[in-house]
Amino acid sequence: MAIIKCEEFLSRFEPWMEGERHADIQAHLRNCPHCHAIVNDLNAIQAEARSWSSSETDAPERVWTALREQLEKEGLIRDTVLDSKRSGRQAASARWLWGLFGGVPRPVLAGAYLAALIAVAFALSGPIHKKVNEEKWLEGTRIATSPLRAELNTAEQNSALSLASSNSDVSASLHQNLAIVDNYIALCEKSVREDPQNEIARDYLYEAYRQKADLLAQMSERGENVQ
Amino acid sequence: MSTRRFVPVQWSSQVTRKAAGLLTAGLLLGVSAFASPRRQEQHFKVDARPVITIHNPNGLITVKAWTKSEVMVISTLASDQVAVDAEQMGNRVDVSTHGLSDSLSPDDMRTDFQINVPEDAELQIHNDSGSVSVANVMGDMNVETVAAGVDLEDAAGYLTVKTVGGSFQCLRCAGRIEVSSISGNFRLIDLRSYHVWAQTSTGNILFNGEFLPNGTYSLKNYSGVIEVRFSPADSFDMSATSLKGKVNNEAKLTPPTHQHHFVPKWGNALFGTFNQGRAKVELTSFDGTINILKRD
Repeated sequence: MAIIKCEEFLSRFEPWMEGERHADIQAHLRNCPHCHAIVNDLNAIQAEARSWSSSETDAPERVWTALREQLEKEGLIRDTVLDSKRSGRQAASARWLWGLFGGVPRPVLAGAYLAALIAVAFALSGPIHKKVNEEKWLEGTRIATSPLRAELNTAEQNSALSLASSNSDVSASLHQNLAIVDNYIALCEKSVREDPQNEIARDYLYEAYRQKADLLAQMSERGENVQ
Repeated sequence: MSTRRFVPVQWSSQVTRKAAGLLTAGLLLGVSAFASPRRQEQHFKVDARPVITIHNPNGLITVKAWTKSEVMVISTLASDQVAVDAEQMGNRVDVSTHGLSDSLSPDDMRTDFQINVPEDAELQIHNDSGSVSVANVMGDMNVETVAAGVDLEDAAGYLTVKTVGGSFQCLRCAGRIEVSSISGNFRLIDLRSYHVWAQTSTGNILFNGEFLPNGTYSLKNYSGVIEVRFSPADSFDMSATSLKGKVNNEAKLTPPTHQHHFVPKWGNALFGTFNQGRAKVELTSFDGTINILKRD
């Protein structure tokens, strides 16, 4: 049985997550704690997403449409095959995620999808970072996180607009905490730039992105309620 | 068990449930419109392990357990521009507040609830601002807020709490606790919980409770202080890491005998075993201070 490496596993993890089991991948997962952790994380995300009740209130169509348009603009969910391997891998992951969350209500999806994208982006850049130099890792991180950062910024603008008519304590709290998370992200990014292989800093940065996605989803929902 | 729509009724001690037939209810409906439109009360007969959901944008929610197989919902509405729906579907009671016009201020929307439930009730509470207070409820609980603080007392079961900026306090709680926030402070006092997972970004975390054998305790923040208080009889395996902050420790830890820990190369880290190391304690901060102190 051929021994596969992390990069090959990543190129084949989509069918794995859809249930295809191959001995070489199983062997790799047994021996690679990092890839094993990725699979565990994605399984957890998948399970969590499916556990959300279908009775959740549906989000307005425009929120969903805007999110999708933005993701398409960022190239994360386009259907065409991209030229570079790296971009292709990102697009494949995104398509796979659409399938993954196919049965989940849209409003939940808005937050969950962003969170999952972030998780996958970091996961994709994760297994390589131990073995490559810092420059390569930084480049990988930049490629993985730039579209997400852009997406989060766009979502932030939309959320801020939709919350503009509200003057409640809730709105103030959401904005205040968004500023906290933005500051948190900036400081974590600085730490990662200074020490790209610092796993704790990367873990905190991932967590900060996840919190921001979650917060923006909450703001979008409430923005619709106050309009 | 019947499903009843919520009607504004002011119950007095003289009005027994047996006497509260349709005629009485109708009469009271009329009276309540003049007497006290802001206070409403409803009772629901339930079986074992009922599920109670509460959705409220702003106000104080107080939930207490009692020995009756009944859910009592008393709501106090701040204005006549807001309404409360409470309805029963099987063994589930759903309570929600909604505005009657489009342009309502948060003060207009404010509704306070006093709710009594059976001890084994399961609670699902959404309250954006105000506060949530739950006492003596042993069933599973999910509480989500934005700015509202959450106080649990003598609760058990699987407790999940999520706030944005609201604080969280858990007094004498047991079971499994998972709490997350962005800027909320956490106080976990006199716990008897075998699983605690607490994560806040800029809030402080205080843990002053027992580390139960085989229990896992994970406390994480970005900044702020994580303080853990232990007693001489406690038994735990400790892992404490602050990337840019300090780790202050008063526990005499023995170094781990087997290298199963992931030992980070960054920041200030502390690993070791206290007594037999029966519980697992993991404390993590980015630039906050971690204090591991003896209990007074």
